[in-house]
Amino acid sequence: MIEIFQQSLNGLAIGAVYVLIALGLTVVFGILGIAHFAHGSVAMFGGYLTFLVMEKFGIPFFTAMGIAMVGGAALGLVIERLAYHPVQDAPHINAFIIALGLTMMMEGMNLLMFGADQVVIQTPYRGVFHIAGIAVAELRLIVILTACVLVGAITLLIAKTKTGKSIRAVAQNRQAAILMGVNVSMVSLVVFAISSALGVAAGALIGALLAIAPGVGEGLAVKGFAVLILGGLGSIPGAIAGGLILGVSEAMAAGFISSAYKDVIAFLVMILVLLFRPEGLLGKR
Amino acid sequence: MSQSAIRLWMGLGFGAMAIYMPNLVTLPYFMHLIILALVWVILAQGQNLMQGLVGYVSITQAGFMGVGAYFSTLLTLKLGCSVWLTIFMTPFFTGLLSVLVGYPSLRVKGHYFAIVTLAYNMVIFTILLTFSSVTGGEAGISNIARPSSFSLWGYVIDFEGRSNSNYYLLVLLLAALSTGICGFILHSRVGRVFLAIRQNEVLADAIGIQSWRYKLFAFVMSAALAGLAGALYAHYIGFLNPEPFGVDQSLNAILAVILGGSGTLTGPVVGAFAVTFLPEYLRIADSYRLVTYGFILVIATIFLPRGLVPVAKDLYLFLISLLPKRK
Repeated sequence: MIEIFQQSLNGLAIGAVYVLIALGLTVVFGILGIAHFAHGSVAMFGGYLTFLVMEKFGIPFFTAMGIAMVGGAALGLVIERLAYHPVQDAPHINAFIIALGLTMMMEGMNLLMFGADQVVIQTPYRGVFHIAGIAVAELRLIVILTACVLVGAITLLIAKTKTGKSIRAVAQNRQAAILMGVNVSMVSLVVFAISSALGVAAGALIGALLAIAPGVGEGLAVKGFAVLILGGLGSIPGAIAGGLILGVSEAMAAGFISSAYKDVIAFLVMILVLLFRPEGLLGKR
Repeated sequence: MSQSAIRLWMGLGFGAMAIYMPNLVTLPYFMHLIILALVWVILAQGQNLMQGLVGYVSITQAGFMGVGAYFSTLLTLKLGCSVWLTIFMTPFFTGLLSVLVGYPSLRVKGHYFAIVTLAYNMVIFTILLTFSSVTGGEAGISNIARPSSFSLWGYVIDFEGRSNSNYYLLVLLLAALSTGICGFILHSRVGRVFLAIRQNEVLADAIGIQSWRYKLFAFVMSAALAGLAGALYAHYIGFLNPEPFGVDQSLNAILAVILGGSGTLTGPVVGAFAVTFLPEYLRIADSYRLVTYGFILVIATIFLPRGLVPVAKDLYLFLISLLPKRK
C-alpha cells in the first residue's frame, strides 16, 4: 500500500513536468493549429541553458531558470517568425514537416553547443521528509510546486489579461478575431514566447529531477502529445489531468512491472484512449 | 513523337541503363550505396502512398522496416526457413501488423495521426532494444544469410559478397515492381479516392466514400513495402541492430518524399537516392549533419514545397515551349 503512495508521489513530480510540456503544446495547437514537435528539443535547450548559466555565473537554480526562460521565449519568437510564419497559409502537413526539420536542427544544435554528455542540474534541495512511512524528497515537492505556480500564472494570464482575451479569441475563431481588430500575427508571437518559456522551465525541472541527454527531447515531445490526446486537444484542464495521469501510470509501471517498458506505457494509454474515447478524457465531442 | 511515346522510350532507356549499371560502376562502395538507395526507393514509395497521396504523414516507416528486417532474419535463423520464402512472407506479416495498429490510429486526423505513428515507431524501437533474448538488443544479430543461389539456364546465380550485382538486380527488380504497384494504385480508382481524401476528407465521406477503409489500405500497403525493404536490407547488410530503425530514419523517409516530390511516382525514387547519397557528401561536416539535414528539410518545405521532380518537370516544359514550334 505504502509502495503505491510512494510511486504515485514520484509520478506526480514527473507528471507535473509533463503538464508544463503539454500546456506549451496545447496553447500553440489551439492558436495556430500547429503540432509543434520541436517543443521537446526546445525544452532540452532550456535545461542545458539553465545548467550552463548556473555553472558560469554561480547563481541559484531558480534565477538561472528565469534567465533561461527569457532566452527560450526569444528562441520561440525566432522559430515562429522564421520557420512557421512562412507556411501559415500552406496545408498543415507542411507546418508539421517544418516542425520535424526544426526538431532535427534543435537536436543538432544542442549537440554542438552542449556536447553529448548527460547533464544533471545540481540543486540545493536534497532533503527527504518522512510522512507516515512515505519518503518525500524535497526536490519532488519543489518541482510540483513550481509547476503549480507556472500553471496558475498561465491560467491567470489567459483568463484575466487583455492579451489572454485576444489569445482566446484567436483560438475560438481566427477570422472573426481578425475582423474584430485582433493583431493575430502578434498573438501568435506571444503564444510562441509563452509556450517556449514553459517548455524551458520543464526542461530545467527535468534536468534537476532526472537528467538531460541528447534524444530526451523527442521522447518528451511525444509524451506531451500523448498527454494532449489523453486529455483532449486544446483543453487546458485536459492537459493538466492528462499529464498527472501519465506521470503516475508511468511511475506505477516502473515500480511494479519493469522500468525498461516504462516509456511504452505512455503509448499504450494513448492507443487505448484513441480506441475508446478519441476526443480525450476531458474533450468535447 | 507524342508525350507518352517519349515517356515510354525514356523509361526503357532508363531501365536498360539500370540493368547494365553493375558493368559501369567500378567502385564497389558506390555499388553498395546504389543497392541501399534502391532499398530506400521501396521504403519511400510506401511512405509516399500515405504522405503524398492520402495526405497523412506517418512517422513509423523505419519502424515497420525494422519489423520486416527482424521478422525475416529471425525466421531464417531460428526456424531455418529459406531466405526466399521469408522475403516473400515479410510484406504480408508487416501488412497484417499494420492493420492492428492502423485501425485505432486512423481515428485521429492530421498532426495527431503523425504523433501516434511516431509513438509506434518508438514502441517498436524500444521492443527491439529491450527484448534482447530474441532480438539480440544493442549488440544485434550478425551473420544473416543471403538468399540461396539457384541455377538458371545453366548459369549459377549466387548472391554472396559485398555489392553483389545479382543482389543488385534482385533489389532493382523489386524496387521497380513496388514503383509499378504504386503507379497502378495512383492511376486507379483507389488512387483517385486517395487524392479526394487528401483534398477534402469530410467531403469524401459525405459523398459516400468510406474513407477509413482507403486510409487503412494505404497504411497497410505502405507498411508492407517498408517490411519488404527491411527484409532486403537485413539480408544484404548481414547484420542487424535496432539503430537504423529509429525515428530519425522515419524522418528521413519523409524527407525523401518531400525532397523528391510528394504525390508523384518518380519523386520518391529521386528522393531515395538523394537521402542515401546526400549524407555521404555531408560526411565532411559530420557534426553539422543533423543541423544541415533539418535546415534542408525546413528550407525545402518553405521554398520547394512540391519537391524536385515537379519543379524539374515545369522547367522541362518551359524549355520545350521555348523551342521553335513546327508548323
